[in-house]
Amino acid sequence: MLYIELAWRNLFRNTRRTLLTCLLISTGLAVLIFADGAIRGMEKLMIGSVTKTLQGEAQINRLGFRDNFDVDLYIENPTTILGKLTEDERLSAYSLRVLSGGMIGSAYNSAGGVIYGINPEQEKEVSRIRDAISEGNYLSGKSRELLIGTTLADLLEVKLGDRIVLTAANVDTNELTQDLFRISGIFEFGAREFDEGFVFVNLSAAQKLLGMEGGIHQIVLQFKDPKTSRDNLSLSYQDLEDKEIEITGWLGLQPSIGAMLEYTNLGTAIIGGILFILISLGVINSLFMSIYERIYEFGVIRAIGTSRFEIISLVLVEAFFLGLLSAFLGLIVGLLFSYYYSINGLPLGEMEVSGIMLGNGNLYTELAPYQVIFLPLYVILLTLITAIYPAFFASRIVPTRALQRAL
Amino acid sequence: MKVIETSNLSKHFGLGETRVSAVKNVSFEIEEGEFTAIIGPSGSGKTTLLHLIGGLDSPDEGDITLSGEKIAHMKGNQLSDFRRDHIGFIFQAYNLIPVLSAAENIEYIMMLQGIKKPERRRKVEEILETVGLTGLGDRRPAMLSGGQQQRVAVARAMVSKPDIILADEPTANLDSKTGMKLLEVMKELNREFKLTFVFSTHDEKIMNMATRLIHLRDGSIERDEQK
Ligand SMILES: Nc1ncnc2c1ncn2[C@@H]1O[C@H](COP(=O)(O)OP(=O)(O)OP(=O)(O)O)[C@@H](O)[C@H]1O
Ligand SMILES: [Mg+2]
Repeated sequence: MLYIELAWRNLFRNTRRTLLTCLLISTGLAVLIFADGAIRGMEKLMIGSVTKTLQGEAQINRLGFRDNFDVDLYIENPTTILGKLTEDERLSAYSLRVLSGGMIGSAYNSAGGVIYGINPEQEKEVSRIRDAISEGNYLSGKSRELLIGTTLADLLEVKLGDRIVLTAANVDTNELTQDLFRISGIFEFGAREFDEGFVFVNLSAAQKLLGMEGGIHQIVLQFKDPKTSRDNLSLSYQDLEDKEIEITGWLGLQPSIGAMLEYTNLGTAIIGGILFILISLGVINSLFMSIYERIYEFGVIRAIGTSRFEIISLVLVEAFFLGLLSAFLGLIVGLLFSYYYSINGLPLGEMEVSGIMLGNGNLYTELAPYQVIFLPLYVILLTLITAIYPAFFASRIVPTRALQRAL
Repeated sequence: MKVIETSNLSKHFGLGETRVSAVKNVSFEIEEGEFTAIIGPSGSGKTTLLHLIGGLDSPDEGDITLSGEKIAHMKGNQLSDFRRDHIGFIFQAYNLIPVLSAAENIEYIMMLQGIKKPERRRKVEEILETVGLTGLGDRRPAMLSGGQQQRVAVARAMVSKPDIILADEPTANLDSKTGMKLLEVMKELNREFKLTFVFSTHDEKIMNMATRLIHLRDGSIERDEQK
């Protein structure tokens, strides 16, 4: 194909300029691929932190419980719900909880906090409490075991093995009730809200303290496919809703995270936009320079019968090659970087989002097929679109005037 | 058979005080197989006239009929297709696309005409021999002498089988010996293939090879001399 050859060779008339433009476009693409990977990684980290730490991907609560955490809004008999849960193929794990505000007291001091009653075996599968233990042991099921956060332990001046008295209100009578526990483990999530305000005891011990044997406040759910939690979960649990029970996905539990995710999508769009301007300027500049240098030549080939359309196509094919070359280069560089950091992670430092620590301080970029397919296509398309104006300009070169020029 | 027929051709540039009549009331006819030189001092309108009859510029007044078709009012693609198929152009210099080899430069116009590659290749070889450039087809223009480059331009101009070849001072950038040789090639093509040439020149020796001289002065035909 002589035409294609011609366009390709034209591209390398001024190799330096072409390579510089190529470098500009490919750097843009590499940045886009990397930034997109980082943004996706960040998103995953954020969602992971939110859903894996304590809250779960979704929760089942009595209607209204989440508003004020009124202890009397509990599920008296979860049997039918549990029946449904075991049938739900999408679930990977669930865990029953009791929670109540209360006083946490030591021999020296006391503080207000949230008392969680958990099933240690189930809980391992839905939250990171066990991973957060920094001293002592996780719950084993013995009735007086208690886990306390580092900050709270300092405040109460207690250590492993010390005694703690929990005081709470009976769910039915509202009378104060107390029980004695021993610190079996100290945890550190790294988030202040957790380390200062929470204690965990065995489910049955908490039920006994609050006078709600068999009852629970909350079921935490994890799904096999993380996408499930974004679906409208209440559809599949409609009959439960009639009994004043609600199921809420993490987006509903943490609306602020949902808003942040919107912003991360905006981030890709903004980077794409900046790239658009960058590439446009680079391509326009490069093409115009190469057209200006060739005005006489365009005059000649127009004179001997090249049509305007053929001139437009010639410039567009040149731009296409420029885009293709740059996309190829940018793709390789972008993928290499993104791949490296998807394995080694970007050091992120300490970062807290809505009171939840993000991972282990490393951000791992996420590679995705669309980054390999659509982002380079976007860049090639962008180059082509930008080339339309220079191409039209070249096609409007008037032979008589062009021929007068260089002589 | 008449190849070109112009009647009362005029072309003006500029407005008011600076208005120049580059071509004024020019009427002439050119028969197939003629070897015509347009001569005249600098600024007499040679280039303008060649551009008008070649369909590169449109006249302000008058008509041009080329191979029986009126071209004065053709536009856009129609005109560029007409140029491609009916007119061969040779300019003073830089006729060739520098990134294409001599052979590819000749091929280029056949590609525009939609001729298939094997036939293009065959014709290129044939025509390179005709203009005396056998074996130089693979060279880029920069690797050819000025005279060789102009021969490639001649080859390109004739390969599209035009009705007429227009050459605006084709020898101006060549030394006089090389210029004469180029003209001899053109003359030979004129004799052998009955190709019609119209060229402009300043050079006495070269104009003397023409069979007809059209003298221009201030845009008008001063004398039309058949030899
Ligand atoms: N585009 C233009 N704008 C204004 N004036 C022009 C233009 N083209 C030609 N002219 C004028 O028209 C007249 C004829 O010019 P033209 O180039 O046709 O002469 P020429 O015989 O080819 O001269 P030369 O031998 O120097 O090439 C000149 O006075 C020139 O200045
Ligand atoms: Mg001239």
